[in-house]
Amino acid sequence: MNDPLLDDAVESDRPRQRFVLEETGFDEVPKKYRRFYRRWGGPSDQLAPNEVLCPVCKVVIRSTRELRVGDRVYCMPCMSRLVVSMSSDGSLEAIVSYG
Amino acid sequence: MVSSGPRDEPHRLGHDAFLDEVHSFEFWFQAVEGYLSDHPYGCVAGSDADEPEIAEPRRDGLITTLCNYCVGETAALEAASSMIAFAPNRRSKIFLATQVVDEARHLEVLLHRLGQLGVTDPEAEVDRRANRSLLAFKRRLLELVAARDWESAVFAQNVILEAMEFTVFSAHAQRADPITAQVLDGIIKDERRHMGFGENDIGRRLLEAPHIRARLATVRRELDPLVLDCFERTLEQIDVPRSERPDLGRRYLASVARLGFDS
Repeated sequence: MNDPLLDDAVESDRPRQRFVLEETGFDEVPKKYRRFYRRWGGPSDQLAPNEVLCPVCKVVIRSTRELRVGDRVYCMPCMSRLVVSMSSDGSLEAIVSYG
Repeated sequence: MVSSGPRDEPHRLGHDAFLDEVHSFEFWFQAVEGYLSDHPYGCVAGSDADEPEIAEPRRDGLITTLCNYCVGETAALEAASSMIAFAPNRRSKIFLATQVVDEARHLEVLLHRLGQLGVTDPEAEVDRRANRSLLAFKRRLLELVAARDWESAVFAQNVILEAMEFTVFSAHAQRADPITAQVLDGIIKDERRHMGFGENDIGRRLLEAPHIRARLATVRRELDPLVLDCFERTLEQIDVPRSERPDLGRRYLASVARLGFDS
């Protein structure tokens, strides 16, 4: 699992894209965290490179940087810790990490 | 894209700091403020003023459905409040205190909605229309709580019951009249926390003490028929087409499947 506090120093070849996050109207977490989440629009909702879907509560989790396999993200609306992984169709997916 | 600072990025928190944050009363208070302020009884102020009458038999079906939601919310209210006494740590105690408040609010807004639908004595109506399987589920949940069996109680309440409610309420909110949909949307936002707490707590415990899996599997086998009966009856009442029910069933079962309990 890549800890975002540590891994900037050990980044690989290609630098990660950075993203400016705007408010999306998501209102289920304290104000300072709201831009890091958005509502999911269903299966046709195309996720950006800095987004991944929480499998527990179906909220889209957002980061200020491009997500890669092994990254750790948190879903605050359902209090889950997740690890970014590659799905069978080649897209990024989040797996719950209980440990 | 232009670079932005990661200030307040939750993903940079350490795991302990994250758990402290999301289990706190402070987090809960600021979270619910986002979607409950200026929402008396779960609706945007004034939005229920000129509600058109809901025709029969739709109104009667809705009353039965809401009465059964009240049974589920009462079960969770009674169970969660009693579980605080034997919750294993401070985070869980504080989180459960927030859940108790949520469940009490759910019960209150649902009873209020029954009143708006013309039910003169909502609590008596709940007793009259309660589904037997749901009542049996409630009895069993409260027995697990009385036995101070933390893992079984969390599994029954926060994984099984909350996952069912989350799935059913989400499906219902998409089909309901505008006022009921608003009430349910607010409840669904609370349910995210409740079921997430349950799945993550049980997931951690299964890693630390794998032997509890057999006990939880027994609880699941016992509760499954009751829950599936409630699930099926409610989907029927809220007019979910038969073709959509298997997908909803999979969604409901996803959390127990992620915890390694096969269907």
